[in-house]
Amino acid sequence: MKPAAFSYHRATSADSAVALLAELGEDAKVIAGGQSLLPIMNMRLAEPAHLVDLAGADDLRDWQESDGDVTLGAMSTHGMIEDGLVPDPCNGLLQHAASGIGYRAIRNRGTIGGSLSHADSSAEWPTVLSACDAAAVIRSVAGTREVPLSDFFFGFFSTALQLDEVLVAVRIPRFAPDRVWGFVKTNRKLGEFAESLAVVTYRRVEDAVVSPRVWLGAARDVPVRLAGVEALLSDDGPDAPPVQAVRDVILTELEQDWDAMDPGERHMAQLHAVTVRNAIKHAQEVHHG
Amino acid sequence: MDETVALTLVVNGRERSISVSARESLADLLRERFSLTGTHLGCEQGVCGACTVLLDDLPVRACLTLAASCEGCEVVTIEGLQGPDVERLRGHFRTQGGLQCGFCTPGMLVSAYDVVRRRESPTRDEICAAMSGNICRCTGYNGIVRAIQLANDEALDADNADPVAATTHD
Repeated sequence: MKPAAFSYHRATSADSAVALLAELGEDAKVIAGGQSLLPIMNMRLAEPAHLVDLAGADDLRDWQESDGDVTLGAMSTHGMIEDGLVPDPCNGLLQHAASGIGYRAIRNRGTIGGSLSHADSSAEWPTVLSACDAAAVIRSVAGTREVPLSDFFFGFFSTALQLDEVLVAVRIPRFAPDRVWGFVKTNRKLGEFAESLAVVTYRRVEDAVVSPRVWLGAARDVPVRLAGVEALLSDDGPDAPPVQAVRDVILTELEQDWDAMDPGERHMAQLHAVTVRNAIKHAQEVHHG
Repeated sequence: MDETVALTLVVNGRERSISVSARESLADLLRERFSLTGTHLGCEQGVCGACTVLLDDLPVRACLTLAASCEGCEVVTIEGLQGPDVERLRGHFRTQGGLQCGFCTPGMLVSAYDVVRRRESPTRDEICAAMSGNICRCTGYNGIVRAIQLANDEALDADNADPVAATTHD
């Protein structure tokens, strides 16, 4: 369980990281905490020739606030978010989600930018930050661009990042004060990756649901927006719909046919439906912000 | 070919300058080069927690930390972990049967220290959650959790008895 040999490059800033990537070419990988990358490298599932380490790039731990949003540096750790050392523009959702990632020792090294770039849909940040309408701030020597997370994830471990680009920050719009959220992660053991992960947010205006977002993780290669469940909430209010109604939407969204599914697949579909329904209940029960 | 990286870090209070292999983990550096074999390697994929050490005062997995990443950092291993909270934990791990084969114990103590030093009043369930990243294959969890509960209670009592000392503890 040791990684294959590689050349190590220590970036001292975001600028030095993108300069290194431009110079090193295609077989370079960025390490931003390494809590997912190093296990994969230890198992020899990844054998990059060059590793560009962001651990010493202190500017990637900065954050900026404006009236409309908060931009967190890519090297903000899950622990920093959990402990409230950086602002949470989402009425506590980010803090709550961060506290459930892996274990404390993992959260002290794993980063928000690393998690997004790794693009595992059973991890917290891809689904949670998609539900928050966040955007990836991406830099190369050629300049900086911003990609909404809804366009960022291409598939398992595959993103809009080009080989010479680094995700340097994530820009997260502020929730309105009346925006509530629900978050449910279903897994067998605390700290494991999700078997299912659902995030629900909406503005609670008296008894009405306004601008809902319902996202499901771990169901396919990328986080999935459940527009059909959002429509149910908009039409019927914040009460949780029956599991079967939620399941029907999920099956449609995933292009699955219940009658053609084997018992294992049906179990997973049911698990996702229950997780989404419980996240809706969570949003309703907890008065956030 | 293994590339080497020059590294300076502080280990258990002592500054060390050394040339490490790029692919060397912090755990291997501690064990193989500094003979600090109290840091145990169970799974080398971040699951078991036996290699947990303090890096700049925060618990991390030494198997999922590249030695080369630790430039300028301060590392405390089980050999260097000290202070009243640690002594309380050591005592209660002993009396409560908190260790059997002892393989997981170094990581357990580092994680437990991180619980006790917070000076919160965790419930049993909260202690279990905080310790869920450390696996004991002897399954001696009851003794471990009991030991942490007792050490935590004792630390809170000691702070209440001597509030001045409480503000200056490690």
